[in-house]
Amino acid sequence: MSNVGRILIVEDDPKDVELTITALEEYNLANEVIVTRDGEEALDYLYSRGKYASRPNDLPAVMLLDLKLPKVDGLEVLRQVKSDENLKLVPVVVLTSSREEKDLISSYRLGVNAYVVKPVDFHEFVNAIKELGVFWAIINAVPPGSVRK
Amino acid sequence: MTNSNSNHRNLASTIRRYFLATLSVGMSLETSLFLARHNFEGVGFPIFLFGMALIAWYEGTGPAIFALLLSSIAFNYYFTAPIHTLYVTRSEIPYYVMFVLFASLVTWFSAVRRRVERDLTQSRDELAKEVVERTQQASLLDLSHDSIFVRDNNDIINYWNRGARELYGWNSEEAIGRTSHNLLQTVFPLPLDEINAELKQTGRWEGELMHTKSDGSRVSVSSRWSLRRDELGKPTAILETNNDISTQKRREEEIQSLNAELANWSAELEAANRELEAFAYSVSHDLRAPLRHMIGFAELLQKRVSGTLDDKSSRYLAMVLESAQRMGELIDDLLTFSRIGRAEAKMTSVSLDQIVKEVLSEARMETEGRNISWQISSLPCCHGDPSMLKLVLMNLISNAIKFTRQREQAMIEIGNSHGSPHEVVVFVRDNGAGFDMKYVHKLFGVFQRLHHADTFEGTGIGLATVQRIVHRHGGTVRAEGAMDQGATFYISLPKS
Repeated sequence: MSNVGRILIVEDDPKDVELTITALEEYNLANEVIVTRDGEEALDYLYSRGKYASRPNDLPAVMLLDLKLPKVDGLEVLRQVKSDENLKLVPVVVLTSSREEKDLISSYRLGVNAYVVKPVDFHEFVNAIKELGVFWAIINAVPPGSVRK
Repeated sequence: MTNSNSNHRNLASTIRRYFLATLSVGMSLETSLFLARHNFEGVGFPIFLFGMALIAWYEGTGPAIFALLLSSIAFNYYFTAPIHTLYVTRSEIPYYVMFVLFASLVTWFSAVRRRVERDLTQSRDELAKEVVERTQQASLLDLSHDSIFVRDNNDIINYWNRGARELYGWNSEEAIGRTSHNLLQTVFPLPLDEINAELKQTGRWEGELMHTKSDGSRVSVSSRWSLRRDELGKPTAILETNNDISTQKRREEEIQSLNAELANWSAELEAANRELEAFAYSVSHDLRAPLRHMIGFAELLQKRVSGTLDDKSSRYLAMVLESAQRMGELIDDLLTFSRIGRAEAKMTSVSLDQIVKEVLSEARMETEGRNISWQISSLPCCHGDPSMLKLVLMNLISNAIKFTRQREQAMIEIGNSHGSPHEVVVFVRDNGAGFDMKYVHKLFGVFQRLHHADTFEGTGIGLATVQRIVHRHGGTVRAEGAMDQGATFYISLPKS
């Protein structure tokens, strides 16, 4: 699995981050994972500004986005990404604990590519992450400009 | 006939009147002659005048003139020289002319006086009649329960009925002659000028007034004013009818305050609902996350230490995992349950057959390896929200599958039975563990379970969800069963 794209995780809960990375590691999908801890940091990364100002200006293969985030929440990040000519090419998967219909609807309205409810069961969680990783970081043909290593 | 009769009577009366005139003249003549014979001089003159006056008074103008004529002739013949001729000597002419003039004058006076008297009598009779009429009207008004009074153009009260006395506490002697607005300390809903303008224009006015009674207490009245005009259209009086609406008013105010309270409650309820929604949201998000972590890290731990832990430690770890998982199920079921209350039902015509088919295909996992004999009748359509009704049948059918687990040969029947013409009644019957009818009231409650967790797993929310959905459709649920003899669940739904 050499051809795994860069995965951007936007998640404020370190435990969720650890579990997600563990799951990705399990399937060797974790060779390039960027973790941002809130919406603002995620946008900084995507726009290469703030502490990411010096990073090469390329896009991740997929963004795993939590909805409930400090500062700028997930839906706002999604809105900004999908209304930016350049950024809207990045596939966004909402990965959230929320089963609320209104979150689901809002996300799809804003143009989310997939909406995944984090399963409580660890196996299911690992499976979900694995499938997401495999699909978005390996199988899916990414738009030009995003990174594949 | 009547006409000729009355003609007859008129003729007879005329004849009688002229006869009386003749008779009167005759008697005056006889009396005068009799007195003259006994040497009373000059009495003929007044006696004739007296007779004519009588006739003019009692028999009217015609007979009076007739009597005047006869008297003139008789006076000429008997009392002016030369006597016993119709000639009058030159010296007697003034005397005779005097007689005729006096006679005419007396006749005329008498007739005029008579006419005046007749007119007066007529007026008096009319007046008496009107007084009777008015008195009757007034006593009729007095019978009314409404408070009625009449005031003139200067608002001076000139009539005050029993109802007014009862309402305000003043009797008519006290009220009549007083200025009504002063007496009652009237509070008007709009400027008095406007009220009077409307009254003048339309002849009436209606509205609510505030009055003060004799004991100083205030009373709200519904007031109706009518303007009375004379023949020339000039306003002469105002009839004011007042009804006590204090009670009504108080009730209205009570209703208003109750409504306000209700609106308050409803706002509070809405706020509570929103809070509940926020709570459910945070449950779904915030409670699930730590649970996921517990399970995740416990599993990772399990994986790392597998083989190195003693049996007891492994069992403890497994129990931590199991409990966390069960908590996850409980949270999920509770969220589903709470969502039913908040979700908007999308009502449409629903094919229950189709839903049963879907549920059965989704339940295939649970029925694998089981020996279940299904008996499924064709079901009617009903009116409802398809996804909610699917949840209902899913719960009932998976319950039936679950509680027949210990049967060699499980039997599950899905059918419809007769209800009222407006409803569809569907039942799910099984030959499973059943329940004691003693506890039937607990069956549909949240977290109510009638079986031990180690026999039949479950969260105790399924049937509560069923009931909640069916109630939202305006239907009913009921259950029949017996220990170890299976159970039947009936749901009624509105017909499409």
